[in-house]
Amino acid sequence: MQYELRTQVIEPRRKTFTNLTERYGDRPATRYEEGSVDVQATANFHYRPLWDPTHEIYDPEYSALRLTDPYSFVDPRQFYYAPYVTSRAHLHEAFASTLAYLENRDLVERLPQGWKDLVAQAVIPLRHYESGGQLIGAYGCRFGYGTTITQCLSYASFDRVGNAQLLSRLGISLDGGSDGILVSAKQAWMADADLQPLRKYVELLLVESDWAAQHVGLDLADQLIYGLLYTHLDETALLGGAGAYSLVAQHLSGWFTDNRRWVDALYAAWGRDPEHGAANKAELSALVARLLPGALEGALGVARIADRCLDAGAVAFVETRARALAAAFAPEES
Amino acid sequence: MAAPRKLSMKQRYAALTRDLDWDLSYVDEDTAYPYTSFEGIKIHDWSKWEDPFRLTIDAYMKYQAEKDKRLYAVLDSFAQGQGHLQLTDPSYLNAMKLFLQGVTPLEYQAHRNFAYLARFLNGPGPRFAALCQSQDELRHAQTEIHTLSNYNKYYQGFHSWNHQHDRVWYLSVPKSYFDDAVTAGPFEFLIAIGFSFEYLLTNLLFVPFMSGASFNGDLPTMTFGFSAQSDESRHMTLGLEAIKFMLEQDPDNVPIVQAWIDKWFWRGYRLLALVSQMLDYMLPRKVMSWKEAFELYFEEQMLGGLFPDLAYYGITPPRHVEHAIAEKEVLSHQVYWTLYQFSFAAGFTTTVPSEDAQKWLAEQYPQTFEKLYKPLWDKASAVVDNGGRYFYQGLPQLCQVCQVPMLFTEPGDPTTICQRHTEFEGERYDFCSDGCQWIFEREPEKYVQAWLPVHQIYQGNCGGPTVPDVLAWYKLQPGDNGEIAGNVEQTAWEAWHATSSAEEQAPAPVAGN
Amino acid sequence: MTQSTRARQVGVDIQETEENRAVVEAIEADNADCAVRHMPGLVRITSPTRIVVNRESVEQRLGREWETHEFQLAIVSYFGHIAEWDDDQILIQWDH
Repeated sequence: MQYELRTQVIEPRRKTFTNLTERYGDRPATRYEEGSVDVQATANFHYRPLWDPTHEIYDPEYSALRLTDPYSFVDPRQFYYAPYVTSRAHLHEAFASTLAYLENRDLVERLPQGWKDLVAQAVIPLRHYESGGQLIGAYGCRFGYGTTITQCLSYASFDRVGNAQLLSRLGISLDGGSDGILVSAKQAWMADADLQPLRKYVELLLVESDWAAQHVGLDLADQLIYGLLYTHLDETALLGGAGAYSLVAQHLSGWFTDNRRWVDALYAAWGRDPEHGAANKAELSALVARLLPGALEGALGVARIADRCLDAGAVAFVETRARALAAAFAPEES
Repeated sequence: MAAPRKLSMKQRYAALTRDLDWDLSYVDEDTAYPYTSFEGIKIHDWSKWEDPFRLTIDAYMKYQAEKDKRLYAVLDSFAQGQGHLQLTDPSYLNAMKLFLQGVTPLEYQAHRNFAYLARFLNGPGPRFAALCQSQDELRHAQTEIHTLSNYNKYYQGFHSWNHQHDRVWYLSVPKSYFDDAVTAGPFEFLIAIGFSFEYLLTNLLFVPFMSGASFNGDLPTMTFGFSAQSDESRHMTLGLEAIKFMLEQDPDNVPIVQAWIDKWFWRGYRLLALVSQMLDYMLPRKVMSWKEAFELYFEEQMLGGLFPDLAYYGITPPRHVEHAIAEKEVLSHQVYWTLYQFSFAAGFTTTVPSEDAQKWLAEQYPQTFEKLYKPLWDKASAVVDNGGRYFYQGLPQLCQVCQVPMLFTEPGDPTTICQRHTEFEGERYDFCSDGCQWIFEREPEKYVQAWLPVHQIYQGNCGGPTVPDVLAWYKLQPGDNGEIAGNVEQTAWEAWHATSSAEEQAPAPVAGN
Repeated sequence: MTQSTRARQVGVDIQETEENRAVVEAIEADNADCAVRHMPGLVRITSPTRIVVNRESVEQRLGREWETHEFQLAIVSYFGHIAEWDDDQILIQWDH
């Protein structure tokens, strides 16, 4: 026997909100679009900030990098809150499984000494670097212009605390459930000569007034550091009998790949902007020229620790990667 | 290796959150945190901030993902099953139109400004709490949009909520309220939004909307509301923690905080004028009266519960609270009567309350309704009976601070409109109440900046000189505004229900057209 | 304990669901002076003194492990002050 399901057919009056049909034509919109595009107020602000009367509440002039239409940038991942937290719930759950697996089999304990040293001296201290990234994302979330951009920065900020917590949990695990390694890692972050250039770089980034400069500066350091610790050394780990390191590194390199998607899309949107494109490219070149030396110095410090622990060609890797970055952002020949 | 000291929940939380912070040494603390001194609040020890929730990111993600999974499942099934046909009446949606146009953008603003706090508070504990709240507020803005998106497909008034929030006259009430908060310093924002909005007034704002939804067949909004409120309890805690922290840090903070409570109570209370009429007039099936809600959620819980607690620190109930208490008998009637007359220029519709509704109002407001407001509705009904509809010709004068039309009456005299004014730098500024005048006189340089919609219309900044020009600039469509009876929404609603009761027929006609 | 001239209520609103029934029952059992009121979609529990939620009581009724963090899926609103929230217990009361 078959049941016939009868429902009333009612033609909708409209497919989505007016701002979206004006932009994209008469088609249904995604939840990402409805929850992101044109959400930030743009007009008729009532008062100027008491703490910065030279700007409007939301003001494109908080950055030298501009988009004629801020919504020419959209997040390729189409993250609004629900898919974002779902994705990160999976990340943290997967990380917890990995950690439990490693703990049950004493795999962290059995890491070769050089790798243990690397984790304790170079990897765990970077939870503070991540925490700096948290502040940079929050700053961009407040001062960026347009919800599609600020939303990405907001999630990136939250991701950074998340990453810091992943590293912290690894540290606690490495220390058998106590915080001894976290304590020594913090001392290293504060005083180890090889970590000071990176700490200095992050602190100086925090007081850059342009949110995009902070963001680009962080990305330069990320490209060197994530590239080194979670890609380059991951390969070394697999060859060098440190599978446990690789199991952990996969979560951070996976996050970094995911994060790059929107970061690269934003570079592309800045570059192709019909009105500001050329100025943006010039500004980006200037930013990279100004910031990359500090990022390089910071990452080289981490690489020196890595080479001391493992002799893994870390310094050479970072130098090569930095040259590639400099070339990628070099001013265009006219 | 020595036996490791296992971390307790508290230690683990500290290790995973505030211990991530470090003392900056390559830049000055004042350069990195430049905004926490100008307001005069003195903080001696940021580590005294308590976070009762102790949520780490993994737990946050897990619970929030679960909440959203449940919520979106309800939204999807409601949409698939044409759940909107189960509403008590399409006019119920006026409350939701007001919510999307007026409240959702505030959630979004809260998202952005809690990010400001997440960057600029000196202590890592409150910074992390603010960051979590920033994320939650984005969730609320987006889940509200997604909840109401389905109604937008079939009903008027939702389609241009973001455009209208920045332009339409009555929406400058919520917009200016929140613009006021985000342009203040970080500590004032914590009192304005974290404390006054999220703790003092939150139940008055949200519970009526959510109960109204539940009473009127709006399952998605009810589900959204409960889901959001579970985050709200964290926000309430942050607000209460913030005020206690400031009060405990230094006795010099007490008078500053008191003045902010005074200001933000009145600012928030004036904003809630829109909620009062929603409860008493907009809901087809009533939940509770404004008066009852005010007595329960404000007088009993806040004046009776919270303020005795704060008295320990020398905090007294907000200035002008006696005016709010006295006004509970008249507020909603005055507001709805005004909206009735100006709804030709609004993104919602109004009508003369039905006989049943008037009976209910008379029971709820035995002192005032029959004596003062029923006669107005009788007059409006007479106009309708003669084939007309009374709309006010012209534009209302707005209060310089709250931006509500000057419709409120003198304390203790419900027949005389209350008008106050102050001269500042040779200009005259008008106010609806002692509360708003007092707020202006504390910071006249701020409030003279206000983008007052009516002034802007007169100056030609709103699409043109005529009413149709302005309505076009608001992007109002036929059926968005004016009278409920005979409106395209009602016509479509009747057609949909006629079809469903006449067994299976041809598809129902498209609404409007 | 200080004397108060008038009882100051604290309260918590909990979403009415199958899962949360165990939480509500645990609160009722552990707070002799509380009052429980059912409203559309939610349960309001008030008390003239304080409200305590014990993990063990909830677990007994739920038949599984329950972390106090899970209370966040249940709570709709509250009034009072969250004085304690740890592994074993949540406590709502006024401070002063």
